[in-house]
Amino acid sequence: MDALRARVRSLWMRAFGARQRLDEFDAELQNHVALHTEDGVRAGLSPEEARRQALIRLGGAEQTRQAYRDRRTLPWIEELLQDIRFALRMMARNRGFTMVAVLTLAIGIGATATAFTWIDAVLLQPLGGVKEPNRLVTVETVTSNGEWVPNSYPDFIDFRDRLKLFDGVAATHVSAFSVGKEDHAERVWGELVSGNYFAVLGVKAEAGRMFLPTEYGDVPGAYPVTVISDRYWRSHYGADPAVIGRTIRINQHELTIVGVAAPQFHGSIPVISFDIWVPYMEQSVLNGVQLWMLRDRHDRNMLGIARLRPGVSFEQARLELKTLADRMAIANANVSEGMSATLMPLWKSPHGPQGLLIGPLRILMGVCVLVLLIVCANVTNLLLARATVREKEFSARMALGAGRGRIARQVLTESLMLTGCGAALGLAATPWMSRALRTLMPPSPMASLVSTDTRPNLAVLAFTVGLCVVAALAASVVPALQVGRLNLSAKLNAGGRGGSAGRARNRLRSMLVASEVALALVALVGAGLFTRGFQQTLRIDPGFDPNHILLNQFYLSTNGYNLAQRREFCRRLGERMLAAPGVTDVAYSDGVPLGFEPSWWEELKIEGYAPRPNENMNIFRNVISPGYLPLMHIPMVDGRNFTEQDNENAPAVMIVNEAFVQRFFAGHSPIGKKIHGWGSWFRVVGVAKDSKYHYLGESTPAYFYVPFRQVFREDMNLAFYVRSQGDPDSALSTLRTQARAIDPNVTVFDAAPLKEFIGASLYPQKVAASLMTVLGSIALLLAAVGLYSVMAYSVAQRTQEIGVRMALGANPVHVSWMVVRQGLGLATGGLVVGTALAIGMARAIESVSFTNSGMGTSARLLGSGANHPLIYVGAAAFLSVVAVLASYLPARRAASVDPMQALRAE
Amino acid sequence: MGGKTDVWQGTLALMVLKTLQLMGPQHGYGLARRIEQTSGDLLELNYGTLYPALLKLEQEGYIRSRWGASENNRKAKFYELTKAGERQVRKAAAEWEQTTEILSRFLAPNAEA
Repeated sequence: MDALRARVRSLWMRAFGARQRLDEFDAELQNHVALHTEDGVRAGLSPEEARRQALIRLGGAEQTRQAYRDRRTLPWIEELLQDIRFALRMMARNRGFTMVAVLTLAIGIGATATAFTWIDAVLLQPLGGVKEPNRLVTVETVTSNGEWVPNSYPDFIDFRDRLKLFDGVAATHVSAFSVGKEDHAERVWGELVSGNYFAVLGVKAEAGRMFLPTEYGDVPGAYPVTVISDRYWRSHYGADPAVIGRTIRINQHELTIVGVAAPQFHGSIPVISFDIWVPYMEQSVLNGVQLWMLRDRHDRNMLGIARLRPGVSFEQARLELKTLADRMAIANANVSEGMSATLMPLWKSPHGPQGLLIGPLRILMGVCVLVLLIVCANVTNLLLARATVREKEFSARMALGAGRGRIARQVLTESLMLTGCGAALGLAATPWMSRALRTLMPPSPMASLVSTDTRPNLAVLAFTVGLCVVAALAASVVPALQVGRLNLSAKLNAGGRGGSAGRARNRLRSMLVASEVALALVALVGAGLFTRGFQQTLRIDPGFDPNHILLNQFYLSTNGYNLAQRREFCRRLGERMLAAPGVTDVAYSDGVPLGFEPSWWEELKIEGYAPRPNENMNIFRNVISPGYLPLMHIPMVDGRNFTEQDNENAPAVMIVNEAFVQRFFAGHSPIGKKIHGWGSWFRVVGVAKDSKYHYLGESTPAYFYVPFRQVFREDMNLAFYVRSQGDPDSALSTLRTQARAIDPNVTVFDAAPLKEFIGASLYPQKVAASLMTVLGSIALLLAAVGLYSVMAYSVAQRTQEIGVRMALGANPVHVSWMVVRQGLGLATGGLVVGTALAIGMARAIESVSFTNSGMGTSARLLGSGANHPLIYVGAAAFLSVVAVLASYLPARRAASVDPMQALRAE
Repeated sequence: MGGKTDVWQGTLALMVLKTLQLMGPQHGYGLARRIEQTSGDLLELNYGTLYPALLKLEQEGYIRSRWGASENNRKAKFYELTKAGERQVRKAAAEWEQTTEILSRFLAPNAEA
């Protein structure tokens, strides 16, 4: 114990303790020598001899002093400080070099850290503020043909009550709430959750409490309580603890605030921040959802989250769930035949923005690594060039006794300082770049909720530091090795002309530049492919006309409207809007085509059609007003459109699309055929032309429409469309006034032109294309800088040779061509390798797809253009032009060499 | 680190501490001479290594130093034992005795055969 304390104390004293002063030690030594000399004189020696003896016994005054100095402090810290001081001096002296190196590193590290921040938020730590997130899993219902869908509330109850290998199963349903008094209500997004939601997730209360076990029950309307987010608490209540126990008016009903969730908790969907949590059983009060719908196993709208019991493996738990779900499918065969359930990691859940984000993020990460590689190659190149200039300095230091290791460490310290500065700069830019990424999110009601925690988090910091060290090592290993190979006498003797070592180094730098060109080509081809894919997709005809249409989503249930009142509101608003000048059409529907939100479906039975075993009879649908198809300019190809007479009292009718006819009626006219859904039989009255429903790139699915007045239910959305002659925004103020005229409590929150709104389906492709273009340009720039620096250096080295050539009559044009040819040679090598790499990359990203809907539909990121030769040729040609330009500047300098000057410089 | 210097440094430290314990405060030269005398002049110290060793002991907290006047009235730095040093002397001495005892058993001509 003592010994350890002594060692620690000694280490502490050496590192931080007061320094023993060297002049004091000198005095002590002098005293020692004097005493020793006096003893010698006393023994009969001459004073000179006595002093000589004393010094010999001491073992040399200077050596003693050095030994004392080494003991005084920790020498390696001393040396490190020296290295850092020296590196700072070098950086300050070569400002241009430092700036280029630090900026390139900042770009590379910043971009990679940003990508990592998002990946961290989406994939690695999808939920903040929960206990042991690695034991949380998503519970998905699986349809008979293997597609993933949310769960129904009764299914959830079975899961919750019967599964043994879980520490709880919770369910949640995303919902918009209208909070506050009627005339100044505010839209707030939150979740309707099962009572045990917070307990299963392990969320702590910042203030008050979370839901109690007495609130875990399944009695509709029995739990008028709510938990609010820390963010909402701070912004709306100034973090006042007295708010606990007060009431809050949600959807015109008073609920009691019982608690505030921990600040890190943002809800159960990655990257999206919710503000309010209410027990799901309040659905019946808040949204007027009828009791039979809460008990309907068809109503699959609950996302399931479960916590594995400690020591239970994912596979065991999945099996237990599957066994139970399979039994339930038999017990409830009328609604769940062939259904099952499965578990998946949180990030894999197909609901929420991660489905959209994962594909682009994977590509983003890949591209960032690519850019980082180019950055490292570039900095290595710069360092090598610097090392050449500093060869004499290094040689001199070695001649004065510095070890090779010491100098190599110096090189490493310098590049660590460079990458450190770059990383600091890059990290500082991360929140900003993160926000830039957010603006690429499609405009949708939920877009404003997308946020990543931009506070520096430990994982991101550790990642950046690691990145920084790796980059520093990668960039300095070659220059450091070069130091090791320095031939001392040759260097000091050589008059300054590069010997054979110089040529080897040129080869190395050439290879680096060639690899930069190769990587830049990969980035450019990627940018080209994505941009082309994006443009191709843009050119796809959606099958409807989104221009001049204003879209607004109403959340009337949040105003306390019942179903009849909502229908009546739509009818009256429609009438008023049609009367307004410039408005040509008005319509409303449940789903928005090509929107951000998932599409819904209904399980159908079709008269005269026998489904194959396991065939998925869940067909996508929309609930529309009679004006919808004309407003969208979707023509009828057979039969008739809905009319106002297709109302609650008339027989149920349905319109199907052409793909529906192909699939279920083998192309024969379906008019008059009967189809069963929502518990009743519909008669097909018309066939609408195919259009795009979820993605522009999709292959058209079977789809059908039912009339708003016959099917519209409490839990459906209400999207209101207005087509006007001019700018859709001009219809906005009319819509506002008219909506307010009908009911002052109804607010138009987030109206947007349909054209913008449907951009959501293009989001992943847009992100991929714009990111690749930005990063491709950076890669191109870096490669050009690298090429230029190598060519300029080579020309500088060959000045004398060029002078001789010119003196012997070489033509300046010839000389510059010689230099350009050398540059092109380098670039060509890179282009060949780069083409091979790019083809490989295209293959890899061809398979990347994205999804924004629950039922497994997805579209490819690249579209169809993965093997477009023109893009490869174009990128290669472009790079060649850049290569010519980058080597032309040094070439011009070479051609303007004055032979006399060059020779005299010898 | 070579084992030899370790042992040597270890023993030097113990010699320094023991000498300080017996003789009270000493300056560097006096300490060196005293150690040589105690060893019956069998040891010839390299005085150059003494000072770093003293510094080390000081950093470890076993000894402390202060300036005073030497016998010839020079300003000299005197070293003295601290409480921790006292403890360390006892401990190290005991360890050392045990080591030598064990070793001597091996080296004794007719140990248990």
